[in-house]
Amino acid sequence: MAAAAAACGGEAAARPPLAFSPCDRRLLAVSGSDGRLRVWEAAGSRLRHEYVPSAHLSAACTCLAWAPPGGRPPPDKDGPQRKKRKSEAAEADKQLDILAIGTAVGSILLYSTVKGELQSKLDGGHDNRINCVRWHQDNYCLYSCSEDKHIVEWNTQTCKVKCKWKGDNSSVSSLCISPDGKMLLSAGRTIKLWDLETKEVYRHFTGHATSVSSLMFTTVKPMNENKSFDGITGLYFLSGAIHDRLLSVWQIRSDRKEKNAVMSFTVTDEPTFIDLTVSEVKEEPVKLAVVCRDGQLHLFEHILNGYCKKPLTSNCTIQIATPGNDGDSTPKPVPILAAAFCTDKQSLLLVYGNTLQPIIEKVSLNTSESHICLIRDVQKVLALKTEVAVTKVKTPVVNSDTKVLVPGIPGHSAAVKTPSSGKEKNKSKRKPGEPEDSIEERLGALDIDVSKVKTPGGLPQTDSFAVLLVQGLESNDSDILNKVLNTRKETLIKNTVARMPIHAVIPLLHELTKRLQGNPYSASQMVRWLKSVFTLHASYLSTLPDLIPQLGMLYQLMESRVKTLQKLSRLHGRLFLLVTQVAASETVQDVTEVNQTAKLVYEDESSEEEGSDDEMIADKDSDENWDEDEEKEEQSDEQDMTVEKEINGDSDLEPENESEEE
Amino acid sequence: MVAAAGLRVVRCGGSPLHGARAVFSADARLLLCTAGDFVKVYSAATEELVRLLRGHSGLVTGVGLNPHNCLQLYSCSLDGSIKLWDFTDGILIKTFTVGYKLLALYALDSCEDSVFVIIPKRGERDTFQLVSVKLTKTAGQDVEAKEFSVVLEGVDASPKCTAFGREGEYVASVKNFHLQVYFFKRKQLNRFSLRATNAKGGNNLFTCVACHPKEDCIATGHADGKIRLWRNFYHNKEYVFSTMHWHHDRVMDLSFSIEGTSLLSGGVEAVLVQWHNGSDCKKDFLPRLGSAIEYISVSSDGTLYCTLHTDNRITIINSNLRFSKSIQGLIRARDVKTGLVVDPRTKALVLNGEAGHLQFYCLQSDKQLYSLDIVQQEYIQQAGLNQTDLVKVAFSAQGKWLATVEEREEEPDLELHLKLWFFDEETQSFKLNTQISMPHDDHITAMCFRDMDELEDDSLILVTAGKDCLFKVWVILEDTDPEAQQSLSWSCDFVGSYHNYQATNCCFSEDGSLLAVSFEETVTVWDSSTWDLKCTFCHPPGKIRDICFGRLTCSKYLIGATDHGFLCCWNLLSCALEWSAHLNVVILQPDPLSEHIAAVSWLSKESSLFVFKPNEPRPICIQRNLCQEKIQCAAFVPRDVPETVGSEKYVWLRRSQLYLLTDAQELMTFSTKSPEERLTVSSKQLAVEESLPVTPFSLLLGKHRHQQSQGDTDLTKVVRNHHEQDSPAVKELLHTPAHVLPSASFLCPIFINSLLISKEKKSAEEVADEVEMESEEAEEDSDEEKDVTEMEQENTKSMDLLGEITCKLSKAEEKELRKVRKMDYSWISAF
Repeated sequence: MAAAAAACGGEAAARPPLAFSPCDRRLLAVSGSDGRLRVWEAAGSRLRHEYVPSAHLSAACTCLAWAPPGGRPPPDKDGPQRKKRKSEAAEADKQLDILAIGTAVGSILLYSTVKGELQSKLDGGHDNRINCVRWHQDNYCLYSCSEDKHIVEWNTQTCKVKCKWKGDNSSVSSLCISPDGKMLLSAGRTIKLWDLETKEVYRHFTGHATSVSSLMFTTVKPMNENKSFDGITGLYFLSGAIHDRLLSVWQIRSDRKEKNAVMSFTVTDEPTFIDLTVSEVKEEPVKLAVVCRDGQLHLFEHILNGYCKKPLTSNCTIQIATPGNDGDSTPKPVPILAAAFCTDKQSLLLVYGNTLQPIIEKVSLNTSESHICLIRDVQKVLALKTEVAVTKVKTPVVNSDTKVLVPGIPGHSAAVKTPSSGKEKNKSKRKPGEPEDSIEERLGALDIDVSKVKTPGGLPQTDSFAVLLVQGLESNDSDILNKVLNTRKETLIKNTVARMPIHAVIPLLHELTKRLQGNPYSASQMVRWLKSVFTLHASYLSTLPDLIPQLGMLYQLMESRVKTLQKLSRLHGRLFLLVTQVAASETVQDVTEVNQTAKLVYEDESSEEEGSDDEMIADKDSDENWDEDEEKEEQSDEQDMTVEKEINGDSDLEPENESEEE
Repeated sequence: MVAAAGLRVVRCGGSPLHGARAVFSADARLLLCTAGDFVKVYSAATEELVRLLRGHSGLVTGVGLNPHNCLQLYSCSLDGSIKLWDFTDGILIKTFTVGYKLLALYALDSCEDSVFVIIPKRGERDTFQLVSVKLTKTAGQDVEAKEFSVVLEGVDASPKCTAFGREGEYVASVKNFHLQVYFFKRKQLNRFSLRATNAKGGNNLFTCVACHPKEDCIATGHADGKIRLWRNFYHNKEYVFSTMHWHHDRVMDLSFSIEGTSLLSGGVEAVLVQWHNGSDCKKDFLPRLGSAIEYISVSSDGTLYCTLHTDNRITIINSNLRFSKSIQGLIRARDVKTGLVVDPRTKALVLNGEAGHLQFYCLQSDKQLYSLDIVQQEYIQQAGLNQTDLVKVAFSAQGKWLATVEEREEEPDLELHLKLWFFDEETQSFKLNTQISMPHDDHITAMCFRDMDELEDDSLILVTAGKDCLFKVWVILEDTDPEAQQSLSWSCDFVGSYHNYQATNCCFSEDGSLLAVSFEETVTVWDSSTWDLKCTFCHPPGKIRDICFGRLTCSKYLIGATDHGFLCCWNLLSCALEWSAHLNVVILQPDPLSEHIAAVSWLSKESSLFVFKPNEPRPICIQRNLCQEKIQCAAFVPRDVPETVGSEKYVWLRRSQLYLLTDAQELMTFSTKSPEERLTVSSKQLAVEESLPVTPFSLLLGKHRHQQSQGDTDLTKVVRNHHEQDSPAVKELLHTPAHVLPSASFLCPIFINSLLISKEKKSAEEVADEVEMESEEAEEDSDEEKDVTEMEQENTKSMDLLGEITCKLSKAEEKELRKVRKMDYSWISAF
């Protein structure tokens, strides 16, 4: 069970008073420097509402305290039973309502946050600044202490002073009610423990040099269970004072030997806000969050068991800074204003930024690191809020650096893997060719092919494009590639592709794929190239064993691009195939003629070469043969493929690629 | 500690707020509106729920302030009763049983002891009549109110279609194409009809009616967006009407301002239009109210307007058409396609909100946290237009990543976008990381993240299953391209399919090592590291409706529900069916923090809940007949602190709380606590007595009003009364014959003395001033004012506390009072 929220009003507080709602920490009340009281929702740090006390300029708010939620009869039970009830209260959705506001002139205002109006005003108790107000957890008594050295017990039902007594020789700066509700701690310069029934001092604790700004019980029952518990003996409490970098822990002991603090925690600056989780089990450490004046938060985790001489240092320090990457600024620290443990004790609510518009964030605790610096862009977080919006719409950030995946772009889809064998067969049919069979047949020819590729150096006119292309592909020179690939002439493309060496086909396809994914205009250009590559080199492609991984992306790209008007494009593809085949069969001579010219060019080239040997001629012959072979095979292959297609009804590369032009 | 009380179904949000017009309390501080079976009392200043009036057993259909006591409220309900409430304290005063379904309630100033209600006509379906019910003043809580007289026959059931005119002289009611006006005094009924369509093709159907509060004027709204103002409707023939047209679609509601100088209208455009002086040319607008306006109401002091919207939103608007407050609970979406998802970061419930938005609903405060605009497209209000809407939402375990799927269906095409949002801690908002268009070629049926708390980003996996017979696995990749501005982005890692069946569900096992994807009749289990198919399960002939893995000690089980009404539990180690049960399960929801699984079944018009552990086929808890509606989706919301649950039967409620959303978009949950403990607002508040000191301002202004209105111990009142009649001095002075009176110079000081207040405190010059005054009346008035100003001076001088001033004042006044009483009037008797 978390302790009651702390409002460390302290005198001369640079930080305005703020208070978390008890139990679930859902609301945060902050009294800004402008005298307005604002209630913020912790989730989403949204302003719930704002209240301006009528005398907010003359009687500034000095301290705040939320009334415990829900009402119940005054308790007449002791420790353990009470504890159960308390945890149950945390469960039920009790509405928080009354907020007690202590002012600088000695009056206390009770403000209803549900109705949004002032409920009552407690007057006549103090004639000077109120330093601290505390609600009794059970019977709705309110305790207040003031600069006028007095402590007042109020009956909030009737708004009358129930009891008023002198608390100290100097001003009383802080109060805390014991977990069982029967004792009251007060502190000016010395800490006193009062019996609430008799209003007599029960104990004294001295040790702070300056006036105490915060008091808090850290345990609800003593750690050694063997002794009988009278509600107060054996408990630990924590105190912090102004201008003091040490927080002291005291133990209320039966032997009255509490001259000094049991232990102390050291922080970097004067503590301004303290929150802790109360340990209920002996082994469970007390978690303590201390916000200092310098805007840092220190987290302590310690099992309280008796005396410890050395001041303890924090397990973890949290700081917040702006990113400072937007050119102008270096990272600036953002002060943490308050921190509170959530009910699960595993996460922390951080309040930081400006008191006029604080940001409340839930951070999960990770004390393994000793220093955490959170980077928060305070400006942007605040910019997300509009002043009074009709709807609570938040617009998430969408900027240009978002990655966009459309069908066909790598990463949009992967190759389909299917578990069933039948499907597997289907898929293998999708790509033409049976690599296992043809690889042996082609091996010799390929070797020759490779040797041939090396030879072309500077070829005249038509061929020079093929050479350029190969050079461009090898050197990956975008200038050359642009020059070649931007050709529009159908015949030129066809000839270039026909004359390009086989080994350059795959690099060309990769290059084309890359360009296809880019600009749609250039993509339409690339399609012409693709078309001729597939019509002229399909047989070679079908021989490749690793065709699927090599061209999978291209395949997906085409598949996704031709999805619109699928049937039409299929029909178009088939018709095209048919037409080309008919044309091919009619112009067989033509093709050989082309080969003839190629031969002629080859001779030219060979004449240019210095070392024209017999070997070369032999090569030439074999080359010629090869060319013819290829041509034939290509035709047969194409026929094969169309048949296959008609059987499968499966879409194939060429027709779709074709259709894309339209 | 909690006794083994039964499990109770608690409705915790989403009840329709737009059942009837909302009503402002007389001081415009509170707003009363119907919410399902309840009446909710909101504070107009803070948007908070102040009271919840519960007592009706049916939908509340109308509320109205008691015209003779503005602190009381009448409410009527489909359960056939009218209830009278004290709404400030939330007390039910009286119940009048009418015995008919009540569809609307009108409480009029002019009628002493009766209210008007709309009831269905006996024996005829869909015919309704307006009747006046006499509410007898007999003592007792429950009173029968059987005495009623029919006013109008054949009225529309909607409360918008009937309105009462100036001082209750007539009633106007519209139905279809007819307007009928009934004059109570003359007992005359006039009927006016319009043709179904006009020349320009507009639809003349009446949709609502409002009456001018001061003049004889009726405003009617029409289905084509026109507003007609009818005058001179005493004559059946010589009536006139003028037309005003701005709305492009049906006018949803009309309301006159308190003085009748302006008319408010609203419709589906979500724009409140204020027409001035009944003219077409002068109008003001308040646009962008979020959703269609259902009802408009005006506070009795004219300072506030209130619009109720179709999506359960209440907007409070200042009379100068400035937006003031908005009360939003669970926003009613057109269709909750996303299901209920819990945001791990805020613990809010996430579901569809406005079109294209995700609403984050805070369960504790019954309020919308915020609404996240995912689609980021302008919402165009037009009938038949298909809008992009969110269909799937998933959060990664820590809430760091949010995946959303939006789709727009325009036959035959489908537009799909999968968006992956990253929560940017720096700016505390979601940031779009990757947008994937057409991730699947058909509808996406399921989406889930691999929920692994301890793992880092690179092992985060998202799986989407689609009707295109594929499931796709998306992973985060580090971008190798140096030009890319962000280093991480998502891309597809694996695509799987099974016999070309449609993928319907997917889920990861608790440790993330197994992925289960259901393909119609078969559940396939895949290894998430190699993406190999491990095994398949099926329970023919039913298709798989929902699947989930067991957790913690039951992680070796896989649970599936088929649409043939079987719940199956397969053992993943033995790959065999462990048990199966015959149960028509519609939702299967595992608790993320325990082994328990909740199954909601739907059978013959009632939903039942079964909670079980996979290792035993016997359910732990059965809750039959949760509600009449079908349950649409469910979610377990982890509790911050484990609850102490007494009974073994309800152990499943310990770590998390189960929320169910019905078809009517009402949110329900379960509680083992007795209703008293659950009571959220009423009666358990800290009862702080209102004791407010008077401010200087109210001293100045409020005092005169105070004098007139209130009697009791107010001193000034006493003084005034004193000299008017009651004071013996004045009485004797007036009644004594003139010839026996002493000289005026003798009487004057005594008389003046008797009027003076706190003479002792005044300075000498002031007294002198007073003496100089001639007119007694004027003297009295100015004296009082001086008194006040004097107080003011004191105040500013000493910077004293306000309270102390009042203290002093009252002391001084008391003294004066005593003095006046002791005043010696013996001179009169001497004569």
